[in-house]
Amino acid sequence: MSQSTSAEHAHHWEVSWAPLVATFGALFLIPFAFSAYYVYEDTFLTVIFAGIGTPLMLAGIAKWVSEGITEKPLLEGVSPSGLPYFIVSEVFIFLGFFVSYWVIRLSAGNAWPPEGTPEINMFMPVIMTVILVASSITYHVAEEKYDHDDLEGFRKWLIISIGLGAIFLGCTIYEYGHLLHLGFGPSTNAYSTIFYTITGFHASHVVIGLGMFIAILIPALSGKTNKYFVFCAGVYWHFVDVIWFFVASQVYFW
Amino acid sequence: MSAESEKFNLSEWIFTTDHKRIGVMYLIGSIAAFGVAGIMAILIRIEQSSLGPTLADDALTAGQQYNEWLYFHGAAMILAFLIPGLTGFAANYFLPLMIGAADVAFPRINALSVWLFWCGIIVALLGFVIPDTPDIMWTGYPPYSILTGGNTAFYVFTVHLLGFASILGAVNFLVTVIYMRAPGMGWNQLNMFVWSTVTAFVIQLVFVPVLAAAVTMLLFDKYLGTHFFDPSAGGDVLLYQNLFWFYSHPAVYVILLPALGILYEVVATFSKNKIFNYKAGVYGGMWGVVLISGEVWVHHLYISGMPNWIRVGMMISTLLISLPVGLLAISLFGTLYKGAITFELPMKYAISCLFLFLIGGLTGIPLAITALDLHLSETSFIHAHFHYIMGIFATFSVFAAVYYWFPKMTGRMFNEKLGTIGFWLNFIGVNVTFLPLFKIGIDGMPRRYWNYEMFPQFETWHFVAMIGALLVAAGMLLTVSNWIISAFNGEPASDNPWKSKSLEWTHTVSPPGPGNFLKPVEVETDWTPYDYRK
Repeated sequence: MSQSTSAEHAHHWEVSWAPLVATFGALFLIPFAFSAYYVYEDTFLTVIFAGIGTPLMLAGIAKWVSEGITEKPLLEGVSPSGLPYFIVSEVFIFLGFFVSYWVIRLSAGNAWPPEGTPEINMFMPVIMTVILVASSITYHVAEEKYDHDDLEGFRKWLIISIGLGAIFLGCTIYEYGHLLHLGFGPSTNAYSTIFYTITGFHASHVVIGLGMFIAILIPALSGKTNKYFVFCAGVYWHFVDVIWFFVASQVYFW
Repeated sequence: MSAESEKFNLSEWIFTTDHKRIGVMYLIGSIAAFGVAGIMAILIRIEQSSLGPTLADDALTAGQQYNEWLYFHGAAMILAFLIPGLTGFAANYFLPLMIGAADVAFPRINALSVWLFWCGIIVALLGFVIPDTPDIMWTGYPPYSILTGGNTAFYVFTVHLLGFASILGAVNFLVTVIYMRAPGMGWNQLNMFVWSTVTAFVIQLVFVPVLAAAVTMLLFDKYLGTHFFDPSAGGDVLLYQNLFWFYSHPAVYVILLPALGILYEVVATFSKNKIFNYKAGVYGGMWGVVLISGEVWVHHLYISGMPNWIRVGMMISTLLISLPVGLLAISLFGTLYKGAITFELPMKYAISCLFLFLIGGLTGIPLAITALDLHLSETSFIHAHFHYIMGIFATFSVFAAVYYWFPKMTGRMFNEKLGTIGFWLNFIGVNVTFLPLFKIGIDGMPRRYWNYEMFPQFETWHFVAMIGALLVAAGMLLTVSNWIISAFNGEPASDNPWKSKSLEWTHTVSPPGPGNFLKPVEVETDWTPYDYRK
């Protein structure tokens, strides 16, 4: 229950443009671009919105990271305490999707997988599991290096982890391309609905995790690091890893 | 009265990460949403005040625009006014002050929350600009929400933006209360409002993601052709209703708890009394609500089709919620007992809330009982019930909060006379509007109908309800203009005009500057925010 002194903050109002810019970037990039493409089917408008949103969001995030990595926070070391609460809420959003899957799956009885489902290669999820677990281990090694003040080693193992995460995403893209080629798209049947939603939602978390890694790597190249960033990104990555076990076991192997 | 000499600096407001300024931005946004959604409410009342189309030339337009008003009124009032007004504005401004903290744990994330909230409002308002205004209520039930020509995507993104703002707020405030309390402040010394915010955010943290998942599936079903809610392809249409109410019934408690928390503060201050049964209220009442909130949602689906044994089980679990809510009511009413009560404007709102709470709460009991609900569901009775408990009760508590903390936020006093006229217009108006709806609901008036030509006997009471709504409109105009005028021209107020014992009044100036307190706050082990006996 440590209380930072208010005196050092008392003389001026704290400001940061990062949250505002990042939020409006996200507004253009997701709600507006999605609506332009899928609701109004206007590709030109989609490109415009994405073109406004992407740089805004990247600028906001970059500014945020550069502030967060150097500034002394109001309360030292509290971010590792906030992350578990966020993960609780992430668990519940995954539960929302899994419960829907279970309801649909159990009410289908023996008629599963439904008509139109091609043979799905079970070798792929095994490979992907190995890659993701490996990336968790390599990031753990990176954290070890960081704790021993070995910045060079930290950067090396961080890059390896990013590479493994990227390969994982590559596998997802390859698999999606293969299945779409076989005529198995999101709208094919109930199983394809579940398959693309849950694996896609997990993949979006891999993207966020990789984003965190890159946001740590870029300042680390010029020697700037923050131990709470390093720790939190690791916890999040391990969480994404654990969720994958549920995704793989439920969606592929059940 | 310290920051008085400071010059207004726009960029210090827009880019602020200070919890007080973020609180004010939440207040402005939620009152704006309240204003627009209130206009929709008036339009709805006028449309229903006579049989057949009232505000349109033909039935088709009347029905369509009525649906669009219902959508915006419901979605904006709940998601963009009540929840952000209570857990955004009130919690942001006063929770850190009450626990003696200089700011929240993550100020930048706090700024992110408020801007996500503003983006949510922007998307909701854009719904009126686009040609295909959403028309799916605030519930968005499939299959209609998937088949409609309206823009369901805007509904989904509004929910996403406001929901994400809530989740980040929850993380922020839970960490703030756990780690940033002033030295010496134990769990049993927290303000009731702090506890109510904590419990509301626990509910948000767990349940909002489920709603986010549900509306995401809706989005995919409508625009990507998936089959979550499509029975013809193996989906389940009731799945959406279950997921939706799994969040949206607890959302009622997200509104109820901070509203009660505000009332505790107001009632204790103007009764100069300690909280009656503090521990029963906090651990039994508030945490009891959190515990039970997740197993009551099925009563929204009694008539959607389910086996009787589930109905009976869910009737019992729904009725159980009256135990913790009863504890809260007892400790709230008990706080008045033997108090030195005065009736300043915030207290008028608080006392009227107690009345609204009773009416709204007691009419909830028949709706929990399956046998009665099968008759009352989808009638005006249910409409009046939730407007009493969730709509008016919570709105009046937001008003009580704004008046109570007005001197703290602005350093000025509001106009008591203007405010009192506004109060009576509001209070009389809401009762004139909603008491008749109980009566015609029991008699069988279906809810949500823009036209009820088959039930001409209900026309008179609908007309009375419209008169009530117009009274409320006048009252709200007076109230909000009172705030705006007094914020700039009111009489200067002292730092603690109500002689409260709570930290936000005793330890800082009005309005508090950057960093909140002139010197770090510490409290004694026997200090409480309700220590009026000393």
